[in-house]
Amino acid sequence: MAMVQPRTIRARRLAAHLALLGFVSLIVFPLLLVISISFREGNFASGSLIPERFSLEHWALAFGIPWERADGSVVQPPFPVLLWLWNSVKVALVSSLLILALATTSAYAFARMRFRGKAPILKGMLIFQMFPAVLSLVALYALFDRLGQLVPWLGINTHGALIVASLGAVALHIWTIKGYFESIDGSLEEAAMVDGASTWQAFRYILLPLSVPILMVVFILAFVMSIMEYPMASVLLVDEHKLTLAVGAQQYLADHNQRWGNFAAAAVLSGLPITVAFLVCQRWIIGGLTAGGVKG
Amino acid sequence: MASVTLDKINKIFGSTHIIKDVDLDIGDGEFVVFVGPSGCGKSTLLRLIAGLESISDGTLSIGETVVNELPPRERGVGMVFQSYALYPHMTVYENMAFGLKLAKASKETVDDRVMATARILQLEELLDRKPKALSGGQRQRVAMGRAMAREPRILLFDEPLSNLDASLRVQMRNEIARLHNRLGSTMIYVTHDQVEAMTLADKIVVLNGGRIEQVGSPHELYQRPATKFVAGFIGSPTMNFMPASLAGQAEAGCRVQVEGIGELSLPQAAGEHAAGAALTLGVRPEHLRLEAASSDNAFEIVNVEYLGNEVYVYLEPMAGETLLIHRSEAPSRWQEGQRVALVPDPQHVHLFDADNRALKASRARAVA
Repeated sequence: MAMVQPRTIRARRLAAHLALLGFVSLIVFPLLLVISISFREGNFASGSLIPERFSLEHWALAFGIPWERADGSVVQPPFPVLLWLWNSVKVALVSSLLILALATTSAYAFARMRFRGKAPILKGMLIFQMFPAVLSLVALYALFDRLGQLVPWLGINTHGALIVASLGAVALHIWTIKGYFESIDGSLEEAAMVDGASTWQAFRYILLPLSVPILMVVFILAFVMSIMEYPMASVLLVDEHKLTLAVGAQQYLADHNQRWGNFAAAAVLSGLPITVAFLVCQRWIIGGLTAGGVKG
Repeated sequence: MASVTLDKINKIFGSTHIIKDVDLDIGDGEFVVFVGPSGCGKSTLLRLIAGLESISDGTLSIGETVVNELPPRERGVGMVFQSYALYPHMTVYENMAFGLKLAKASKETVDDRVMATARILQLEELLDRKPKALSGGQRQRVAMGRAMAREPRILLFDEPLSNLDASLRVQMRNEIARLHNRLGSTMIYVTHDQVEAMTLADKIVVLNGGRIEQVGSPHELYQRPATKFVAGFIGSPTMNFMPASLAGQAEAGCRVQVEGIGELSLPQAAGEHAAGAALTLGVRPEHLRLEAASSDNAFEIVNVEYLGNEVYVYLEPMAGETLLIHRSEAPSRWQEGQRVALVPDPQHVHLFDADNRALKASRARAVA
């Protein structure tokens, strides 16, 4: 900005920067603290930010490697952390892909088709989404318990059940994608249909390629939500080797033996798939895809 | 190439009746223009033909086939949209090849057709560009190329030039006309601009309120408008309308009394209208003659517009507020504030009855 500014603006700008820096550190501090705890010797939650006695013990245990302490005693990894991580990634990947497929096709119907009851259904979905998922845990348990008797891979203690349960979050994503679809001029698909496309082809070759940015955003949101999901996973999964990382990591925090160091390492590890997913997806999250197609 | 036949076509959206009993024959290779004010249903009619809207009632045939229930892709039509509707993620080449690829044409065929179309429309240089890197006129040409590449039987244009600036519009209009001469395919063109309609059409269809007002050649519509609406819509500046009343029958025609002008003897037959019936007199601005005022019943010149080759003189009657326009070649001796009398040319005067229908010239006169 080349505009001439009075002197007082500079002071105000400095103050604004300081305030923002303070705000950012407020957000970053807990993360730094968790990382610090994971590298600290012993299992203590309190302590200085820079570890006084550095140790890789918690990380070794997290990766399933037995750790030999200075006094010669060997600590066996108490929990299969990497297996939990794999479970988390598996469930998150499958459920977010399914959510994406469902949300995209439903959003198309809501954005482009005329049918009876469209408005009430849309509003209804949003209202149901407002109840916390925790409230339905009992019902979910009962449902999947019964379902498991009929379809074993959808019963309690299966990843299938967790994936199906997580599809309930689809309503929010339908709204997001629907909004984006509606911003794309319908005459593009009409042109495709005159050009010889079926409804599906117009959707597949015209609308979908133009919607990649929002699809990626929805994918990441669904993925993050699934990785961090705790209540449903803690009820539906029972066996130790079935747990997701978010649920499993809590086992470090048993009532009388809170191993904060190990927990911190697992917690940092759970951020890994999210980071990877984001790095992979962000190259498609770009604006201006629809520029130049229609006038005005 | 094919003919199109509309038989009692109706379209109802919810409780609104948009297209009302439209009958129309469009011949093979004809250039037909649908024209009318906004909301008259012209775009809807085009979309019905394209298959983008379903027909509520009536029969639509393309060639010999009834196409009411066929989806757009099976109708063999190409369409140019008002917004162009180019696929923004595809290059110009891919835009034009899209329909051919969907039709599973071989790679050579696709290439041949796209290149041939690009040559006609001078798009060869632009084939690798995305739509956002094109100017308005270029996008317009790509939209036409995409519609043409599949060699559809009928080309549909939905107000294709309305987003272009004035000079480009004239140029593209000219190109479309030449394209029709060259391809000879059936074209249906929707516009609200009567100049586009007049210059492009073999046949103009004037629509108003979902009904056809008149179908005819540009010449017919200009010379013999069937209704007051058509008379007012076609021609620029618009036709002057003055209240009149029937004074009586005449040997070959009738006599009418026009406020501010006096009694005129006209070639139109009064038909079943009785003396004293309320009529409307219509005169085009170029068919009015101005004379220095001789009586009290004069008009006053309120404004004079000089356009270089011609002059528009705006007139107001001393009693009443109807603004009238007179057109003549420049230079003009008339000036603002002058009082004048109007003399319409009886050979070029139109009469409309209370239902806004035009009175026809009496037979005796028509033969002569």
